[in-house]
Amino acid sequence: MKAIAPALVFFALAGLVPLVVRDPFLLDSLILILLWGAAGAAWNIAGGYAGQVSLGHSMFFGLGAYAAALAGTRWGLSPWIGVLVGAAAATATGFIIGYLSNRLRGPYFVLATIAFSQVLLIGASRWRGFTAGSEGIPVPFRAGFWTLGIADKRIWVWIILALAVLVWLVELYLERSRRGYQLAAVREDEDAALSLGVPARQLKVAAIAVSAALTAVCGALWAQYVGFVDPVYVFSVDISIRFALAAILGGLGTALGPFLGSVLVTTVETYLRAQFGGIGAGFVGIYLILYGVALIVMVRFAPQGIVGWVGARLRP
Amino acid sequence: MSLLSVAGVTKRFGGITANRGISFDVAPGELVGIIGPNGAGKSTLFECISGFYHPDEGEVRLDGRRLTGLSPDNVCRRGIARTFQKLRPFSGLTVLDNVAVGALTRTKDVRHAREQARELLARVGLSEKADAYARTLSTGQRKRLELARALATQPRVLLLDEVTAGVDQRTIPGLVQLVRDLHAGGLTLLVIEHNMRVITAVAQRIVALYLGEVIADGTPDVVARDRKVIEAYLGQAYHQP
Repeated sequence: MKAIAPALVFFALAGLVPLVVRDPFLLDSLILILLWGAAGAAWNIAGGYAGQVSLGHSMFFGLGAYAAALAGTRWGLSPWIGVLVGAAAATATGFIIGYLSNRLRGPYFVLATIAFSQVLLIGASRWRGFTAGSEGIPVPFRAGFWTLGIADKRIWVWIILALAVLVWLVELYLERSRRGYQLAAVREDEDAALSLGVPARQLKVAAIAVSAALTAVCGALWAQYVGFVDPVYVFSVDISIRFALAAILGGLGTALGPFLGSVLVTTVETYLRAQFGGIGAGFVGIYLILYGVALIVMVRFAPQGIVGWVGARLRP
Repeated sequence: MSLLSVAGVTKRFGGITANRGISFDVAPGELVGIIGPNGAGKSTLFECISGFYHPDEGEVRLDGRRLTGLSPDNVCRRGIARTFQKLRPFSGLTVLDNVAVGALTRTKDVRHAREQARELLARVGLSEKADAYARTLSTGQRKRLELARALATQPRVLLLDEVTAGVDQRTIPGLVQLVRDLHAGGLTLLVIEHNMRVITAVAQRIVALYLGEVIADGTPDVVARDRKVIEAYLGQAYHQP
């Protein structure tokens, strides 16, 4: 998928919505669509373009969320610094995971990533003196852009949109650049890529590190937006799956795919939450069943994802 | 002066010695064939030269510079390209992109790499398939693709593993002609080949392996008449006048 026009239209529409729509519920949905889309796209860099499927990406998301929250509560620093610290911590963790990807293949790698995210979950819930444990951290609201204390959801749409476009540009780079070609070769057949002079191992590690850093930025901004960091949520396998699902449903290794996948996943989930909220809150879990059904339908009828399915029908 | 030099290469897997003290030199522009029965250590030797295996003893040098110990991608950048016995195209990429990946080892410019890839596809006779996915190619076409891809890395020595294996008889002459043309163009080649008729026709020299050791090294007719080679590999029936 090398056509960028659909993506430009998508982002332009998202950017224009706040000019027309004032309804906080709709704006909130749009923010989450863009945020989970950006996280799905960040996941896609490792899982789609580099072929390193991880179900532990919440570890990076959580690191970013905690870095932003702790920067404010512990040290009174700007969450923007937290964003950078989170990205740096995630990059370092990404290098370890990347190193593992050279040792473990396929399902073993997936299991290792899940294990890593759970180790961080346990760490964050037990290290009470530093992370406040399983109670979680309320992120202090200090009004201003520098402190990311923004009440106006329209501004949040544009902030998250900027992040989404940033991740999308990284994906675009991976479709068009020399490194992107080489990474595609590594994904297809690592040994063949090596035989052609492609530094496969270094490229995989780099892709995972970049994916990790961008996922952490998503986590940091999410924490500032939502205002509360709960270890059980930010390090959950649940949101790792959400990233993967957005990318897989939308189209693995396509730049716009994760954003389209996110539209699907986020809308369904938001709808269910609204429908079964309050007294029927127990039903909210039904979205997991729907995820499963969606995945089965997708793999059966459109294994290339939304982008691949639409693309195949547009081609003459 | 030899371009590629294999000196005392030994490779063991547990109790099995797949290569035992293998030594030979390849001169610039030479086309050397490697023969031997299954399990003789031919493929292991290729893996040792191309950096996928690290020999337990001995070393491989290209133009006097040590290759042993380098990773496969580094070996390729030093100037050794290879094809695989079991073909490994990048199935999900187009034929052109397959070759462009090879070219990008020598150029940073994607457009330039794609131009080079197009020229190479013309050279191996795959121009019409440039935009098809590699998974749609026939075995013979995949062999040509692997050749083009390896050539795109601008090798000084090309290692070919069983170019004629697994393709039907009608396809063989074209592939053989391709190898001849490459050789005529000045490329140095080291070729594993089971088909004796093919190898004696194209090789200037043949190295015969048996149970991991070199049992003969010489011109094709000398090696084909070597008693040890006949007993180990060709069988009495091949003993032609």
